[in-house]
Amino acid sequence: MRVQLQPCYLLHRRPFRDNSELLDVFSVEYGRLGLIARGLSRRRRGGPLGALLQPFRPLLLSFSGKGELLTLTGAESGGELAPLHGEALLSAFYLSELLLRLLQRFEVQPALFTAYGAAIADLSDVASTGNARLSLEPALRRFEFRLLEELGYAVDLSTDASCGAVIRADAHYALVPDFGFREVAAAASPSNASFAGTDIMAIAEGHFDGVSGLAAKRMVRTLLHPHLGSTPLRSRSMFETTRGPRAQTGEEIEAGGV
Amino acid sequence: MYRFSPAMDALIEGLRCLPGVGPKSAQRMALHLLERNREGALTLSRSLADAVERVGRCQQCRNLAEAVLCGICSDTGRDPTLLCIVETPGDILAIEQAGGYRGRYFVLMGHLSPIDGIGPEEIGLPILEALARDGEVQEVILATNPTVEGEATAYYITRMLEPLIPRLSRIAHGVPLGGELEYVDGSTLAHAFSGRQPVRGS
Repeated sequence: MRVQLQPCYLLHRRPFRDNSELLDVFSVEYGRLGLIARGLSRRRRGGPLGALLQPFRPLLLSFSGKGELLTLTGAESGGELAPLHGEALLSAFYLSELLLRLLQRFEVQPALFTAYGAAIADLSDVASTGNARLSLEPALRRFEFRLLEELGYAVDLSTDASCGAVIRADAHYALVPDFGFREVAAAASPSNASFAGTDIMAIAEGHFDGVSGLAAKRMVRTLLHPHLGSTPLRSRSMFETTRGPRAQTGEEIEAGGV
Repeated sequence: MYRFSPAMDALIEGLRCLPGVGPKSAQRMALHLLERNREGALTLSRSLADAVERVGRCQQCRNLAEAVLCGICSDTGRDPTLLCIVETPGDILAIEQAGGYRGRYFVLMGHLSPIDGIGPEEIGLPILEALARDGEVQEVILATNPTVEGEATAYYITRMLEPLIPRLSRIAHGVPLGGELEYVDGSTLAHAFSGRQPVRGS
């Protein structure tokens, strides 16, 4: 296989042998790929290749080979490095970790590729306008719901999966991953184990801020949990400890982005 | 396959732990040491054992050091109010060779990498925080690499040190000396423009 200038995002890179690196990239036509890159720190005109291969930057990669691991043969910039910093940057790492954990190698997901690019752009917008956390949340939720949908883990947000009735605003529902919503008596369940009908309806319409935002976050966590396995997401726990250096309230943690 | 002796095999195997040394080069090195330079081999073995035994981490800055404190931390001629944070001991060498900096250092021994599970503990941030709480340091210069992970690390440290240190700065990113604008990558050039310096004719 020989591929020229394929649009890609770098998800992760780590040192391999002496001066090689193993890259994990997400490409538009071939899905997630493992690439070996040699001589990244070698000097060349215009700076070493390693400087170009940064996460969150659209790349045009050429690679060849057969089997699981391909060889990087060329790289060009496909756009500007997203101006991410602070919490937006940590959130972007979280998106990459989700893809690394949930995507299989060579699983082609062009729509998800577009959604990832859009999410990175949204996060950069938030980073440059500076009104931090509140606006990070909807961008993350949009990507997470898209991810669930593309990978086939999404549930129907409009009906009660046990009886097929339409979700009612005044009812409460329990969420069963890979199955859907099931109506429960409001009094019987604590508020953090069930979802209010109004929230589900708001989320179905794409409202990820305010109260329905918190519900959306809980919903994503519930739905992703069986697929992520027991290992916690490292970027998420780091996001939580970032708040650590400063005094924080319980409410702030709850409102955290990822 | 023919083998020289168990001791020789062990030496060849041992040399292979060096970066860039495969079985063939290890064999060449071993033969060279035993055939042509036995004295050099003895010096090497002694200094290797010595270094492994004696060189540890400086308790203040995490740099490699033989004593409790490294040469830079124990040097009274250095400005104790200035602290430069770098990723590796190699970065200290680079800054020292460039000259001009007379403060102390703190070595992270890596950078934050959420996906690899390298968090604040692994890069010694609790030690850095304790150092900042001592109150002697007045200015911190963040000299982590201008990579995405380096930026994330700088951001995390900024959050942590902001309430403790009066002056925090990040090294500038720009066009290398002797470089040509045409061949500088776009994001470096953008950084160079946003971080431009006022000039005066006189």
